[in-house]
Amino acid sequence: MTTERPGADEPDSGEPDETTAPDPASNGARRSKTRLAARGLGHGFGDGTVLEDISLAVEPGEILAVVGPSGTGKTTLFRLLAMFERPDEGTVEVGGDDVWGLPEARRLAVRRRVGMAFQTRSLFSTTVEENVSYGLRVRRSWSARVRDAVEGLFGREEPSETVEDALRTVGMFDKVGRDAGSLSAGEAQRVAIARALAPDPDVLLLDEPTSNLDPRNTAAIESAMRAARDRGIAVALATHDMQQARRVSDRTAVILGGTCIESGPTDEVFESPDDDRVRQFVEGKLVY
Amino acid sequence: MFALGDLNLTYLVSITAVSLYVSTAAVALSAALGLPISLAVGFRDFYGKSVVTSVISTGMGFPSVVVGLVVLLALSRSGPLGTFELLFTPEAMILSQTILALPVLVSVSLSAVQSVPQDLRDAAFAAGGTSTDVALLVVREARYGIVTALLAAYGRAISEVGSVLIVGGNIVFSDSTSFTRTLTTAITVEARKGNIETGIALGAILLALVLGVNALGARFRDRTPGRNGRGR
Amino acid sequence: MAIERRRFLQAAGVGAILGLSGCTGDANPPQANNETAGGSEGSQSASGATQELTLATTTSTYDTGLLDALNPVFEEKFNARVKTISQGTGAAIETARNGDADVILVHARGAEDEFLQEGYGVNRRDVMFNDFVVVGPADDPAGISGMESAADAFATIADAEATFVSRGDDSGTNKKELLIWEAADVEPSGTWYREIGKGMGDTLVQADQSGAYTLADRGTFLATQDNIDLEIQVQGPLKGGPTILKNPYGVIPVNPAMYPDVNYSLAMAYAGFLTSPEGQEIISNYTANGSQLFFPNALSEDPQFGQYVPENYDGGENASSSASVSDAQFESWVAQHVPQDF
Repeated sequence: MTTERPGADEPDSGEPDETTAPDPASNGARRSKTRLAARGLGHGFGDGTVLEDISLAVEPGEILAVVGPSGTGKTTLFRLLAMFERPDEGTVEVGGDDVWGLPEARRLAVRRRVGMAFQTRSLFSTTVEENVSYGLRVRRSWSARVRDAVEGLFGREEPSETVEDALRTVGMFDKVGRDAGSLSAGEAQRVAIARALAPDPDVLLLDEPTSNLDPRNTAAIESAMRAARDRGIAVALATHDMQQARRVSDRTAVILGGTCIESGPTDEVFESPDDDRVRQFVEGKLVY
Repeated sequence: MFALGDLNLTYLVSITAVSLYVSTAAVALSAALGLPISLAVGFRDFYGKSVVTSVISTGMGFPSVVVGLVVLLALSRSGPLGTFELLFTPEAMILSQTILALPVLVSVSLSAVQSVPQDLRDAAFAAGGTSTDVALLVVREARYGIVTALLAAYGRAISEVGSVLIVGGNIVFSDSTSFTRTLTTAITVEARKGNIETGIALGAILLALVLGVNALGARFRDRTPGRNGRGR
Repeated sequence: MAIERRRFLQAAGVGAILGLSGCTGDANPPQANNETAGGSEGSQSASGATQELTLATTTSTYDTGLLDALNPVFEEKFNARVKTISQGTGAAIETARNGDADVILVHARGAEDEFLQEGYGVNRRDVMFNDFVVVGPADDPAGISGMESAADAFATIADAEATFVSRGDDSGTNKKELLIWEAADVEPSGTWYREIGKGMGDTLVQADQSGAYTLADRGTFLATQDNIDLEIQVQGPLKGGPTILKNPYGVIPVNPAMYPDVNYSLAMAYAGFLTSPEGQEIISNYTANGSQLFFPNALSEDPQFGQYVPENYDGGENASSSASVSDAQFESWVAQHVPQDF
């Protein structure tokens, strides 16, 4: 039971392609993925972080690394991309729509095509399964959610395939029933990524997902990024780890002092940077 | 229960029932009003927020008798809400106890709500949650503290005597069924008559009731989030 | 103070109260009047819904258990339910003054008279009486035992600065106590005089615990006697003591012209029941610890006009020309009740 795919036990659960091919990539095939772009973003924060005139885009099926030293505004940029707040200047575009020009209901729909994982531990105090299914649950109608809650009082259903697949992608399938509080930091981060993946987003934003993690968990997360890319998701990774950027990304954007000073295919940025500060940075020197 | 010899069972059961009914309704009302207040105050920054929070904590120590008098004035036939004829009814008692329980509930649940990390609210938002979803998640994450808040509010309501005596009128019908007499106001009657032992025996029942409610709350509160028995 | 607050309340009211008050002049009697107008007592109990009567009364009638003997009989007879609110006399009168009770049964003639004079109460009847006693510790530290004047006893207590516990709650007993201090020409003050703001039972217990004197109504004292060691030091008039310790109870329905929503007819029925031979007999037969607690005094072959009006009432300022008073009264009735276009 623990290793079998539950699809075999549930003949009437959904469409045929789901039972035969549980890989979310096949689910994703029903809708084409869209790109996420920032155009001329500028934003000021109370704490002095400032972004200036940042334009970048992440395309379906690629990994974009956003690199730069800590404190350079990567987190601010990602929060703007995830539509936490409206930028002071510029636009965030999903599939060509300026998200802040949309009415609120449509913006919610657009926002739900973007998943995100954070640098800090952010799991809810419940089971791994309920964490991962959270995004799916909030997308359901209120009546369905109330019904689920009531049914939940009388015993639990098996986790959905979507949840299982998301957990398999991060290699955490065996922990589906565990209490989230009992996980190590690395395991928790992998579950958080599974939570972002479960609703099958178009865009996956990862803000420093592997900082302070051991190599094994880092490797699992990097493999999950590649898996997401391979099913057509646009993956944006903020990292201060140049080696990681070089390892996993297709393109790289370098942020320094709150603005994007160089971007291009990862190899080019690393092999022959145009900007002198980028050269120093990729060589591992401190840059301000 | 030697000291209860002169109190019949109907009387005991019905004053206990009135105590439970009034306090439960008051706490339910306070929760319906107070949790949204805690969430709003907890997560929004606005001008005068510190004033609001100190008003709330001051409300915790508000003398119940004063609340009783204010409610009395409001509900009296000669007061502004007199036409509803609510004075000396259980509903009047629910009103005054709600006023008393609300600050306790808001105050305790506010700190519980504020202790939920920003990271978790961000995660709920990023996972596609609306602001309602985020609020529900916060309530869920703060459930331990919120149950504590409910229990504290319940404790304040059920052990309260000053206001319910004033606005309820301490009425018992001649067939020994209580209309607005609670365990606490029954104790005042016994004290007034000098029946100290009977009063203490009623106090013991009240204590048992509060203990029971707390045990129930603690059970709910300490239920493991994983709902044990997940054999995977 | 109280009057100012009422003004505030009336001003703060949504107008409904005032509006309703305005209706009392026209031909809409309170609903309850219709129900009782046609029927005898028998048809009342047989017909229709149970009516509720809110009785504001003093703790002594409730705590002694007297109302538990009286009210079930009344309820049975009139298909009514009595909601008894037992407070100090001052609080009970205040409750009625706000229109929140239908009838009061209290024992402070001075306060009752004021209630009548302000128009809040109508049709007062004497119901029963007993007396107050001055109680104190068995060893009688102030040495008042057997005194024939309550005022002298109080003066002696004050001189000795023996501890005295006062109800201090504006109850009938409290009012009586203050009356006696006044008679003794003593303004009680000092640590020996303790106002505690509690009911009679609590007060007796506290006096007992602190070896103090206090004034108690005989009924509550007898009912509480088992729990305390205090003894009667000065008897009331029931046992040859001074008349100042008399304790008469009166019943007063709330004036329906003031508060049209009060159940006036049922309040009158209650007053009628208490003063009927049946009610009076129940009072007479009620005992605690083998002693009769209250003495009915409503039944009398001789007229007792004093019970209807404030004490020393002389018919108003124009009493000397009573004809002109009744003429003026009639004219005001005409002005108030006869339509302009009659």
